[in-house]
Amino acid sequence: MDDNKKIDYEEISKLVSFLEEKHLTEFELEVEGFKIKISRALAQATPPAKAAASNPTAQAEPAQTSTPAAAAISQAPDQFHYITSPMVGMFYRAPNPASPSFVEIGEEVTKGQTLCIIEAMKLMNEIESDVDGVVTEVYVENGKPVEFGQRLFAIQPLAA
Amino acid sequence: MFSKILIANRGEIALRVIRAARELGLKTVAVYSESDRNSLHTILADEKVCIGPSRASDSYLNIPNILGAAEQTKAEAIHPGYGFLAENPRFAEICESAGINFIGPQPAMIKLMGNKSLARQEMRKSHLYILPGSNEIVQDLSEAKKIAKKMGYPVILKAAAGGGGKGMRIARTRAQLEEQFALAQNEAKASFNDASLYIEKYLDNSRHIEIQVIGDKHGNVVALGERECSIQRKHQKLIEESPSPFVDDRLRKRMTKAAEDAARRIGYQSLGTFEFLVDGQGRYYFMEANTRIQVEHPVTEMAYGIDLVKEQIRIAAGERLSIRDGLEIGGHCLECRINAEDPVTFSPSPGTIDFLLLPGGNGIRVDSAAYQGWQIPPDYDSLFAKIVALAPTRPEAIKKMQTALEMTTIVGIKTNLPLHLSILADTDFARGSYDTQFMERFQQKNGNNQK
Repeated sequence: MDDNKKIDYEEISKLVSFLEEKHLTEFELEVEGFKIKISRALAQATPPAKAAASNPTAQAEPAQTSTPAAAAISQAPDQFHYITSPMVGMFYRAPNPASPSFVEIGEEVTKGQTLCIIEAMKLMNEIESDVDGVVTEVYVENGKPVEFGQRLFAIQPLAA
Repeated sequence: MFSKILIANRGEIALRVIRAARELGLKTVAVYSESDRNSLHTILADEKVCIGPSRASDSYLNIPNILGAAEQTKAEAIHPGYGFLAENPRFAEICESAGINFIGPQPAMIKLMGNKSLARQEMRKSHLYILPGSNEIVQDLSEAKKIAKKMGYPVILKAAAGGGGKGMRIARTRAQLEEQFALAQNEAKASFNDASLYIEKYLDNSRHIEIQVIGDKHGNVVALGERECSIQRKHQKLIEESPSPFVDDRLRKRMTKAAEDAARRIGYQSLGTFEFLVDGQGRYYFMEANTRIQVEHPVTEMAYGIDLVKEQIRIAAGERLSIRDGLEIGGHCLECRINAEDPVTFSPSPGTIDFLLLPGGNGIRVDSAAYQGWQIPPDYDSLFAKIVALAPTRPEAIKKMQTALEMTTIVGIKTNLPLHLSILADTDFARGSYDTQFMERFQQKNGNNQK
């Protein structure tokens, strides 16, 4: 990253103000060996977790963690709370295909609020948030299979 | 034939099934717990689904998650391996009702053999000899004492839900029975969450000899020769061999015919094993039938030149038995179970394998899910490799096994390799004169201190 320094702190600051200026909620940039994603509900880099969310049908390979660059950016302690799947099943973001999603990125949720449904053995299991906070990431596409322990949502907890 | 199967197991047996399936041209799905993320079955299957945390009751015994995984990946059949859900009739039934083929016998067979008193009654009808014992669960100590007095000591207490030697206790006197009864109950409760016990006559100087049977869905049944499994420690098998040094042609014919007839009579449709206790006079008594692939199946495979797991999958898909009756044995075969355990205290020794050199060469087969750098999780069985040797004669097979074990190097964890080497060097073992109490005598003789 040293010889190929494409982005530094100043540039990130510029990007953040650019987002605010243009009223964008999300910005993603990828250059050689470097990836940054900024989402404005937080005005911060997203947790380095997206690539780690494993795909149950993928070929076996070591789970990719974040790129070194991304890890360097999120120097603040990991303050996200992750909702993981408690079972193997199908992930649904809405109670039925015609309804809107239970939650969207940027939305505030309270403890006990339903975030999604996981269908297992013909049973619809409502998955609830176990914290108060703001949804900052949805890791799984609607209607996709999920496995045990797979990350579903990242939530930025609200300070009590 | 199926196009994709799911393996509801882990470790070497999951790998064994993955290999068989791949040879048959089938796709494989591994299910794994969080502590098996880097285990070989997870890595080598075509697809994988995480089904729960380390604890087996939440993962490898989690029926909804396993079926969910089968549904997601569109697997048409489930191979249960051994242990875990392999002999759970409810699981086999649920698979069937979900339209997924259970690679094993009919649920009714699992149910029958899982119920010791029903199994005994049924086998008596099949003209197998049964050891005297309680036909029903023994309610309390005073009932146990009554039964023991009637049939005479020694007696053995067995967990009704048992398996793998847990909950088994031998009592030679009334005082011992009083002492062992509660212990056996506690052990049964801890292992199977069911404290029910049976009581049976215990045969001293007997051998544990079992017969492999295979039935298809068209009424064909064959029995393949015996496996001698008397080298056991606390009812856990250590070394198996085929043929048994004790069994002659006449006894072999009688035992295989008895098992084959019984399997045919009940309409058994898959792999199964009939376990017998054989006394010094060659009288054999039915103990139990296992309705699954056995850990020690490679002994039969090597001795007879067949593939039991492929046959099991084919039969489940409705194909006819391809193994002929009256197959000739092709030599003498030995298997050593290599466990991650302290060879002196026998306590489990999980951990990271820092260096691994497994044996090979002419006549050696290794079934293992271990690799260098792998961390053996502390959550499951300590068995991590089965080393199998095939040679024309028993002395040659022993020599081959010794050579193989001497060239095996495992660094990072403790194993029972040294124990195996000293058993193989024992004169009684070399003569083939042993019974199920061999290990007790062996440990006394060697000061209980196998280094």
